[in-house]
Amino acid sequence: MNGESGTGKKGQNAAVLVIGGGIAGIEASLLLANSGRKVYLVEKASYIGGNVIKLEEVFPNMECATCMIAPKQQELLQNENIELLRLSQVEALSGSPWDFSVKIKRKASYVDSENCIGCSACFDPCPVEVDNEFEERLSKRKAIYIPCAGALPNVPVIDTDNCLRFKGKDCKVCQEACMFEAIDYTQQDEELEIKVGAIVVATGFESFDPSKITQYGYKKFDDVYSAMEVERICASNGPTQGQILLKNGQEPKSLAIIHCVGRAEKGYCSSVCCMASIKIAHFMKKKLPDIKITHFYSDLCIPGKTYQTFYEEVKESGVDFIQATVTEVSPSGKGLGIKYKTEDGKENTLAVDMVVLNPAIEPAADSPKLAEILNIPQDKNGFFNERDPDLSSVTTAKDGIFIAGCTQGPKDIAETVAEAEAAVGRILSLSR
Amino acid sequence: MTKKIGVYVCECGANIAEKVNIDKVIAAVSPIKDVTVVERHKLLCSEGGKEFLKQSIEENGLTHIVVGACSPKQHELTFMNVCEQAGLNPQLFQLANIREQCAWVTPDGEEATDKAIRQIRAAISRVPYHESLDKKEVKCSPDVLVIGGGIAGIKACQLLALPDRKVYLVEKTPSLGGKVKNFNKLFTNMESGVKLIAKEIQPLLENASVEVLTESEVKQILGFLGNFEVTVTKKAEDEELNFSVGAVVLATGFELFDPAGLPQYGYGKLDDVYTSLEFEEMNSPDGSTGGKILLKNGKAPESVAIIHCAGREEKGYCSKVCCLYSFKFDNMLKSQLPAAKISHFYSDLCIPGKTYQKFYEDTKGTGVEFVRAAKTEVTGSGKGMTVKYETQTGSKGDLTADMVILLPAMEPSSDAQKFAEMLNLARDKKGFFVEEHQLLSPVASAVEGIFVVGCARGPQSIAESIVQSEAAVGKILSALVPGKKLELEVRVSEISETLCTGCKTCIDVCPYSAITFDEARKISAVNEVLCHGCGNCAAACPSGAAKLKHFTFPQIYQELEQALR
Repeated sequence: MNGESGTGKKGQNAAVLVIGGGIAGIEASLLLANSGRKVYLVEKASYIGGNVIKLEEVFPNMECATCMIAPKQQELLQNENIELLRLSQVEALSGSPWDFSVKIKRKASYVDSENCIGCSACFDPCPVEVDNEFEERLSKRKAIYIPCAGALPNVPVIDTDNCLRFKGKDCKVCQEACMFEAIDYTQQDEELEIKVGAIVVATGFESFDPSKITQYGYKKFDDVYSAMEVERICASNGPTQGQILLKNGQEPKSLAIIHCVGRAEKGYCSSVCCMASIKIAHFMKKKLPDIKITHFYSDLCIPGKTYQTFYEEVKESGVDFIQATVTEVSPSGKGLGIKYKTEDGKENTLAVDMVVLNPAIEPAADSPKLAEILNIPQDKNGFFNERDPDLSSVTTAKDGIFIAGCTQGPKDIAETVAEAEAAVGRILSLSR
Repeated sequence: MTKKIGVYVCECGANIAEKVNIDKVIAAVSPIKDVTVVERHKLLCSEGGKEFLKQSIEENGLTHIVVGACSPKQHELTFMNVCEQAGLNPQLFQLANIREQCAWVTPDGEEATDKAIRQIRAAISRVPYHESLDKKEVKCSPDVLVIGGGIAGIKACQLLALPDRKVYLVEKTPSLGGKVKNFNKLFTNMESGVKLIAKEIQPLLENASVEVLTESEVKQILGFLGNFEVTVTKKAEDEELNFSVGAVVLATGFELFDPAGLPQYGYGKLDDVYTSLEFEEMNSPDGSTGGKILLKNGKAPESVAIIHCAGREEKGYCSKVCCLYSFKFDNMLKSQLPAAKISHFYSDLCIPGKTYQKFYEDTKGTGVEFVRAAKTEVTGSGKGMTVKYETQTGSKGDLTADMVILLPAMEPSSDAQKFAEMLNLARDKKGFFVEEHQLLSPVASAVEGIFVVGCARGPQSIAESIVQSEAAVGKILSALVPGKKLELEVRVSEISETLCTGCKTCIDVCPYSAITFDEARKISAVNEVLCHGCGNCAAACPSGAAKLKHFTFPQIYQELEQALR
């Protein structure tokens, strides 16, 4: 493999490495490829689409997220200038700006993507069942799997940590079930070396773990969920096919949504959680019109031209917003009790069936490692630093390396896409 | 010419063959008129399958192809490419999705077989009506027009101006720099906006690929992506310039909501009530006080009230940056008047992102007071003013202040209306330009080749405005490559000159502004460069003049008739 395609200036390589196959990585790859550049898109997971494809609907227009980005994913998979390296991670960087050499480790998938047609016949016979991480561990998957229906590329992978064969047993039921001889246990992990001129880092976000704040009862009491768990519960391709039920099998009659979970611990506002919380309320009201929803928030952060309208619509549909600090969530009667304190110092309790915690956004857990490999600075929370924060959010201290999306800081989809396009703008303008 | 239709049914391993009785399908479709070849294959998308298909098309001299297989999302392009390799126009092909829409979702085998027959029969009946559509290309200009010489426009020019790409920057006022050139300090680093602008303008003035047109006005823009004809008037010289560009970046910025319409704040009536921009002007070394913070009576204020969200309720949106620049004001006040007492009146602090909370905490740490108030009112008294406030829970309080700074909502520039009309761009109720797609295409407008960045789109910070400029540059550099032609969508609409009655219905329903009206001949015409082939016009046209290629009425009716028979 080499990066010689494209039309580079002397001493400059026109090819670009994009790290992260979420919405930012997809947008950057497509724009670069359409301009004629060779793009290597490195994604550590088996699928592209990042966090966005976990969402049932996106604010403020409540579009189906998977439907919204499916055409982009499809276009990416069909674009001849883009080489998707899934199950891959960047291992080392050498060279100089506009002429980098990058070592990439690609894990074997044990499924030949040329032969596999994505029929999923291999899943059923697999005897292993483990928690599905994509579904926030709310459902099970097999050891050969795709994370959810509709995942792209629609080619399964074998999870060697759990596959019986890779644990020494003589199991080959998936191979026997495959009609196209696509399963190849002899595949090996590969180390690739590519040459690129520029790099776009778009490694996205993870959620703060709400169990770190013990008073909210997360993972301690039934029916206390994180926002991402609720996204999957609401998803029509999720573990419950979109059915919202309590642990006891009944529909919740009341719900509390707690904002800013982990904000004090992290020291920043995660920018999108108010809107994401309002969206959850909108969605729940649509599915369960009689549900009583109460938000607990400190400051509503709904910046920009359209968000307040969305908030007002949801509020008018009968959703309560209480400005207060929640001090404790605990079992109460058949459900949960929310103890809270308003700004005037008054304390109160509200009984609800279900609680949603909306946690802070954190950079991807492996970003410190990437920062070290690429030698670009991070802040104390692990977000990559921009060269001049007040002037451009996509340039880093190192020429030729750009950042886009939540890897730089918490932001919404539109801002993320704009940054991806901006990184491309910089690259296409600076290297020719 | 005699038609020779080839029909190929893919087994997709067991995926289709398990549910659909392919022998029955073949028997059912073989007798249909013009069907010359009917074949089955184990996996048509495999290398072997594609080779088989290519050979079969060539050997039998087929004129039209139907494949019964998977979703068009999966392999329509694959089979169209095979047709092309076999010397057949790829539009003379039709895919029937008998996997996702049939075999995978129909539990009963007989029912699935019947459904597959209907789907393939429908495809066979439509395909003879397909026309060969040839790919078209148009030449395009790589040059760009940037409207608005603020920080967003300046940044766009810097990145766009390249040896093979000329950029025209049109600014209506005599100087570049927009609002930022009047800001003595910028958040969060407290650097000078004046210096920033000077630094950013310099490379533009030295770049031969940039033509800066100050005191100039865009009179007219006609055309479409790759080919816009622009007329600009230079006001001072009373001279008219004409040039062509491939794309346009609108960076027309913002103005402030006029708080005189909100009597509770006393703006325009009480001496020392200022808007944020007036306070910026006061702090500018070139301003009326030479950069000194002074009351109308010439004395320095001892107490300052900063009132957030002036006009937010009236406008119906949060202006996003006011909380942040209010902390900047604190910093400016504290550095000039360390003893001044500063109080903020706000409802919700909007400080999104990784760094702003620290900025807020640092500011608060200098002894600035933050009062959460649902309502605020400024009244005049003998000495200074009184700010009366009411909290959300109804408790009341008041504070005296020598100076009141209002943070009014941001509005689109008054020019927005003019450009919306000139370019046929949609605006929202608040007057901001609407994106092609709010999330996925934030800097493009619905009119291809026209981009909107910065506060013309909605309230933004400087950094956000710059990112959007860079984003527009990314889109433009990706689409308009010097020397390369634009490849057009082939499945576009056309309007029959003889059938068109000139009712303009099509123009109203076209989301891409791709239809223009010929006033002389009183008929509508489709611009193929702009048409995306959505079919709105064909559906809406009352006289049957508009037709969408590849989705014509005969094609659709034939298909429906056979599917429902």
